[in-house]
This record gives sequence, C-alpha cells and structure tokens, in this order.
Amino acid sequence: MSAARRSLSSRRDPGRQRVMVIATATIFAFLVLIGQLWYLQVLEGGRFLDASDKNRIRVRPIAAPRGILFDRHGMPLVDNRPTFTLSLIPRELPRDDETRDAVLGRVASLLRIPFQELTDAVAKVPPDSLLPVRVRRGLSLAEVAKVEEWKLELPGVITEVEPQRVYPNSRFAAHLLGYVREASDEQLKQGRYRRGEMVGQSGLERLLDEHLRGQDGGERIEVDAMGRPVRRVQQTEPHAGAQVTTTIDRGIQEAAERAMEGQAGAVVVMDPRNGDVLAMVSTPAFEIDRFTGTIDREAWLRVVQDPNFPLLNRTIQTQYAPGSVFKIVVAAAGLQEGTITPLDRTHCSGEFQLGSTIFKDWKEGGHGTVDLRGAIQHSCNIFFYEAGLKIGGAAIVRYASAFGFGQPTAIALPGEKFGLLPKPQTARGRQGKPFPVGETINMSIGQGTVLVTPMQVARFMAAVANGGVLWRPRLVQRVERPDRGVVWSDQGQVNGHVELSPVVWAFLRQSLWAVVNDNGTGAAARIPGIDIAGKTGTAQMIAKSKAEKGQDHAWFAAFAPAKAPEVVVVVIAERGGKGGQVAAPIARKIFNAIFLEKIAAVGFGG
Amino acid sequence: MLRVDRRLLQNVDWALLVVAFALIMMSSVTLASLHVGRAGGSVVIRQLLWFTIGLAVMVLVASLDYRRLVRAAPAIYALGLAALVSVFVLGRTVSGAKRWIVMGPLSVQPSELFKLCFLLMAVWAVTSRWAQPVGRTAIIISMPIVAVPAVLIIKQPDLGTALLLIPVMTILLIGAGLRMKTLGALALAALAAMPLAWMALKEYQRERILVFLDPFRDPLGSAYNVIQAKIAIGSGQLLGKGVAGATQSRLAFLPERHTDFIFAVFAEMWGFVGCLILLLCYVLLLLRGFDIAATAREPVGRLVALGATSLFAAQVLINVGMVTGLLPVVGIPLPLMSYGGSSMVASCLTLGLLLSVRMRQFQ
Repeated sequence: MSAARRSLSSRRDPGRQRVMVIATATIFAFLVLIGQLWYLQVLEGGRFLDASDKNRIRVRPIAAPRGILFDRHGMPLVDNRPTFTLSLIPRELPRDDETRDAVLGRVASLLRIPFQELTDAVAKVPPDSLLPVRVRRGLSLAEVAKVEEWKLELPGVITEVEPQRVYPNSRFAAHLLGYVREASDEQLKQGRYRRGEMVGQSGLERLLDEHLRGQDGGERIEVDAMGRPVRRVQQTEPHAGAQVTTTIDRGIQEAAERAMEGQAGAVVVMDPRNGDVLAMVSTPAFEIDRFTGTIDREAWLRVVQDPNFPLLNRTIQTQYAPGSVFKIVVAAAGLQEGTITPLDRTHCSGEFQLGSTIFKDWKEGGHGTVDLRGAIQHSCNIFFYEAGLKIGGAAIVRYASAFGFGQPTAIALPGEKFGLLPKPQTARGRQGKPFPVGETINMSIGQGTVLVTPMQVARFMAAVANGGVLWRPRLVQRVERPDRGVVWSDQGQVNGHVELSPVVWAFLRQSLWAVVNDNGTGAAARIPGIDIAGKTGTAQMIAKSKAEKGQDHAWFAAFAPAKAPEVVVVVIAERGGKGGQVAAPIARKIFNAIFLEKIAAVGFGG
Repeated sequence: MLRVDRRLLQNVDWALLVVAFALIMMSSVTLASLHVGRAGGSVVIRQLLWFTIGLAVMVLVASLDYRRLVRAAPAIYALGLAALVSVFVLGRTVSGAKRWIVMGPLSVQPSELFKLCFLLMAVWAVTSRWAQPVGRTAIIISMPIVAVPAVLIIKQPDLGTALLLIPVMTILLIGAGLRMKTLGALALAALAAMPLAWMALKEYQRERILVFLDPFRDPLGSAYNVIQAKIAIGSGQLLGKGVAGATQSRLAFLPERHTDFIFAVFAEMWGFVGCLILLLCYVLLLLRGFDIAATAREPVGRLVALGATSLFAAQVLINVGMVTGLLPVVGIPLPLMSYGGSSMVASCLTLGLLLSVRMRQFQ
C-alpha cells in the first residue's frame, strides 16, 4: 500500500493535522508582528512621534542655469550670476496666524517689503508645502546678513542662492533679448510652468524659452530644528539650458545703442549678403535688469504708463511713413517700367500745382533744374510728384510690394507689424481705375497711406545693396544643448527676389552714393575712405498741436561699402526733424564703429 | 467547462470574498490619501481597474476545476519559465531592475504571475506517483522546480519573489506528509548552504541584510527606507494621526510609499488599532484558506489550498515584517494593499484557486 493511499485512508488524517499545525504557526507569526507593532506604536510611539516632528526635510529646488545667448563672435549678450533670494517655507512658518504674522511683520520691516506682499505669497500655496515660495529676488548682501542675524526669530524664512540674468548694461538690447520673470498667475493657470519658475516673457528669451530653460534639479536635505542642513537625502542634478548663438554683433549693438542715446527711435543693422541682423535697437529701452526677478509694482507701472512706450520694439512694432526713402522705390519702378529715364529733367520752383491744390517742396524756393540723380541726391519732391504721376500709383504699389513692403519680414520675434500699402483694387472704386491722383502724389514721396517698419526698410535697403534678394531677417543661428549638440538651427531664407535690370541697380546705387558723397542730403553721414550709399527721409507727422509742429521723424537708410555692400544701417529718429540733420549723423557713428571694428579685426587677424 | 453547477454556487466562500473586499477598500483609501504623482486620484482608479480585471480572472479560475489545472501544471510551468526568460530579452528596466514586460499600455511583471505557475507545478510534483511516499525522493524532485525559476528571478533581480518559493515548497512538502526527521535534515542542509547563498547575492542585497542587522550602518542609503518606515509606523501611536496628519507619508519622506511600504502609510494614519484591524482581516482570510485546506476531501485539493494560503501568508508576513524592521528589506508587495497590477492579478488568482477548491469539496 502506498503512502499516499495510507494518508488518505487513515482515520486520523495527518494531512489535516498538519494544516492545523501550519495555521497555528502562521497565527503565531502574526502575533509576533502585532508584538512588534505594539512595541513600535505604543511603547516607543512617543519617541517616534517626536522623531517624525523633528524629521524636517527641506526640499530645495536647484534652478538650472538659463542658457546663455551669444553674439556672432561668441561674446555673451547675457550671462548668469548667483543672486540671493528671500523665500518662505510654508510648512516651517508658525502654525497660528498671530505668530506667523509677527514673523512676516518682522521680515517686512527688516527688508522694507510690504507686509501684504508676504501674506499674499503665502496664501497662494498650501500651508503644509515644503517647497520654498520666492518672495524677493536680488537681495543685497546687507539684507541677507539681516535675515541671517534674525534667523532664530524667523522660522520658515530662508535665503537661497539662485542664478539670475546679468546684462552688460541696464538697457542692453532690451527688446531683442527680452526680460525673464517668474511665471505669472495666468501662465501658471495654463499649467506649463511651476510656481516660482523663471520664464522668458519677451524677445528671444520668450521665443527660445523652451530651449533656454534647462531642467531644474532638486535636493532633499534633512535640517535640524535650527534649519541647519544635517545631511542630504537625495539629489537630482540640474541640467543647464541650451546655448544660443545669435546673429547679433555685440560691438555694433553697443555702438548703435550709444549712437541713439537720448533719442527715441530705432536702428537696424543688417548684413545684406545673408539677412543677418547685426544690431537691433529700439529707444527708449526699458531697464531690462530691473525687470528681471521680482520687480516692484511701482516701477512696473512707471514703465507701462510711460508715454514713450519703452516696452515697444520699434524696429518691428512701430509703423512710420517712409518719407523720401520711398523715392528709391518710385525711381526703381519708373526706370524699370520705362516711364521715366535718368535724362528726364524738371524745373523745381518749390511748388507743384495740381488743380487747385498746391504741393510744396521741403526746400523754400526749390532746387532749380534737376534730373533723376539730382532729385534723389537732393531729395527733390517736385521731381517725384511729376515722376509719380507718370509712373502711376498701381505700378509704385506693385514695386513696393515686390520690395517687401506691406508684408511681414517673418523675423523670429513675436508681434511684428505688417506695414501698410494702398491696395489698387480697394482704392476707391472699380478695379482698373487709376489711382486717385492726390494719393499717388503723396505716395511718390513716401507719405499718405504708406507705412513701414524699420525692419522692412532694412530688408529693402539690403535688397537694393545686394541686387534684389529679399532676405528674411535672421536673428538666431543655432541652439546647442550641452548633451545633444545642435538642436535647432536657422540657415537663413530668401523671401523673394526683385527683378530689375542691372543698369537700374547700378543707377540706384550710384545715386545713393551721391546722396552721401556728392553734397547730397546725406552728407552728414560721409566718412572719408568708406563709400557709404544712403537715402535720407523725413516722415511727416500730422501735427495735433502747435508744439508738435515740425517734429517729424528723421530717416536714414544706407549701406556700405557702396561697391560691395557688407552692411546696411537703418536709423529712424523720432521727432528728430530732417533725416539728413539728425539720422544721418547717428548712422555715421554706427558706420564708424562697424568699420573701425572691421579694421581692428583685420589688424589683429593679420 | 464553464457550465455552472448549482452545487458549485452554493459553496462559494463568501466570507473569503468579503474580507478581500474589505482589504481592497482599505488599500483604496490609503492610496487616495497619498496623492502619488501629479493626478492624485489616478493611482486609485488604476488600482480599482486592476482589481476589476483581477475579479474577472478570479471568477474564471474558480469556475475551472483545480484538478484540471494541476494536471496541466507542467505546461503552465513551462510557459511561466518562458515568460521569465523573455524578461531578459524584452524587459523594461525600472529603477535598476528588469522585471517588467511592456505590452501596449500595460507593463506586466511575469515573476508575480509565475508564483502561481510554480504553486500548481509544486502540487503536481508532490502528488505525482514518483514522489510517493513523500520523503527524500520528493525533495530531490522539488529541488529543480524551485531552483530554476529562483535563479531566473534572482537575476532580474527580484530576491523577494525568489525567496517566497522556498517556504511555499517546504510547506507543501510538510502538508503532503514529509516526516519531521527528513525536514530537520533539510533545514540543516539549508543552514550549511547559507554561506554559498551569501556569495551569490548582489552587492546591494548583501548591503540590505547588513543594514537590517545594523540600521545605522548607512542611514542615508539603504537604511533610509527602514528608518523612515519605522518613524512613520511608530509615530502613528495607538490611534493614528488620521489622513491629514500623516506627515511622514504625505510629505514623501517614505520612498515606495504606495507600493512595498504601503503598510507604513496605513500604520501612520490609523495607528495600532488600525493595524490590528488590518492584520485581523489578513488572519481571517488566511484562516478561511487553511479551513479550505483542512476540509478538502483529497490531497490535491488540500495541497492547492494549503499552497495558495501559505503563498499569501508568506507575502503578508514578509512584507509587514520588513516594513516594521523585523526582516531585511526585500521587494515583496503587500497582497491586495500595495499598488501594482501584476501583484493584484496574482492575488486574485490565488483567491480564485481557493474558491475553486472550496466549491468542489463536496463533489
């Protein structure tokens, strides 16, 4: 008989008995567990409760250093530096409102921060949060010392070190770079950012925020009752943001900003060979370093309510009448269409009568007899009134459109304005009907319903300089991640071509050269040894009051060297008066700096 | 096969199911209070989803005759081994261990499900005619059944699951009538093999055992869990801190708090009294299991029930023992409490086997 059979058949079932033994052993094991729980929870419970109260782990986010923006030569446009930040840790603040308010009140009086600001900051987060709430960035050493001195009376108040943006100077390339601030409440609602995170809010910082931001790290540190770190429990390394190489030339940018000092307006410097933006200045600029971090409300309001709109990037967001700069378009249209020739002459008496309306030249008494070259050189309006009528408004608009006016330049910055051109079909009446004469006359000298941005003018001048290639202005060359190499790059892009016969291009360049170098309106920009070709312009403002009279915007758009253009400079000086008197000298300073730098570079290189 | 017999339905062990439901409820409340991840509720919802899947599987297994399953055990076991091997090929690495296979939106942990394949195979081997009478031959037969998967699972590495196989096998042998003398000899042999086992362990596994012996050996590294878990449990005191006051758990001092260390969270929130109720639930569940084993009419049913119950018991005891600092830390989830799909399905399958035996005990 087998054993199995025996176990089955036996009366005192040993299998059943063994199950009982195992069940008993299991229950015994459970009793041991319960004994251990009794020991841990009841006998030693007080001690462990104490330990859990003292178990103060501090979560310290380590902000990833924001990526750095470099100029085309590898010079930093913006850098990071460690700064002190005042933070509150909600869980470590006193529990009852009265003591908590006393602590916050002390902080408020020590650092002169409005009490309301502190309570608001704490009210926004859950009271048992371990994460520090940033209250004030950029503390001075003296302020940090004050906080540390009062440390014992200030539970839950700490100073942290964070990397923060630092700029070459207070207003440096403010519109181009853009400012970086803590994510606003609205941005938090979108759920893409965490509270206290620094986010690029305008300019390139905003455009490339995703790349620049990097990945924050963090630490879990155990601290004692005094808040001193005892040991580090866990750490995640931050990953620095990507490095961005722009097309900007820091030297030129600085020179352009210096040249524009005290003058409202804009400057664009562009390489006509590839559309690279070498400098982009809009004045007045805001103080970019004050905007970074936590700005006080008052300073913010002062900037926002400033009548000069310092937040506006005038190079792409303000539309001006092009003034006489537009005469180049008119001349190009007329020559290419054959409606005018370089030999046409007009006697300019200073007045031009059309029906009962009298259009005046800017120069009292007129320019005498002028040909096309002379009309460009001296910016004679009367000549262009007549020429404009011969060419016709529709043709002028067609050429202006080919040169990119009325269309965005597609530069990689948000908020670009498109400019304005009169549309042939909507210009009062049926299609095919000639332009209203008055409008054509105004347009011939760049007034009326023509509006342009300085960036559009720069693209246009670059096309004149390079023989008709319309480049998309390029700002960013490439974005490189420390670990992954180049993650984004811009090879440049051509928006369009303007087809004119070579003779026309040559004539235009020659006339523009004469504007500067042959006693023309742009003589103030002349630099001996450098062939600058350019055109002045005066954008009339409709005077709303007597005080505004004569406060026209001054244009100067130029390129150099005239024979093989390497650089385009466009200057608009708001309320500057005549282009030749105000804008041309500014451009001269910029050209000076550019070519001085180039000579210096060659000198060092050789 | 799925034909429902009225007599089968009459013998459903409702007490077992009620206790299991009670445990699931406690698990859900604990998980819900943890706010793991960004969406706090999702872990609970996923856990309940897994439980629903588990219930379906449980009903299926209960409706099958366990004797058929045991007869098919070699094939099931081979399939299980294949799954374990496939982990090395297809597996996904999570925190240094290759334990998961990703199948679409699910990641399955084959070693969890393998425990049941192993159980069926062990019962098959012990009741096979070559193993009779249960003695030295039975031990020799059972050795490779334990050793082959144990090596595969340890390689993943998942020491805890591998270590489960040995007590379950031992209990099955005892249940099958192994003589105490032979058992003693086996224990001595195991003791002698300890140094060898030590050599085979991975560095971090040895470290855990050393840390168990001396928690302050490395308070930041491997002992961190143990110390924090002890603080969490102890600070719960008699009545617990409630959901809101459980700072240890809610503030994430505790690692693995929704999986292997969930007992510590529960203990902090509900204190000694809560723990007593939780453990009582487990004891009730296990007693039902032992009762099923004891009242089974034939050895295969008894051993399946005994094996399933002891598998469950071993997991509970090892998990709670490790969280309370009585045993070294090995990664074993607390059945029906810890978050984890594979573990949940495996637990439901175990219950299904018990139900299957109970339903057929009067046939």
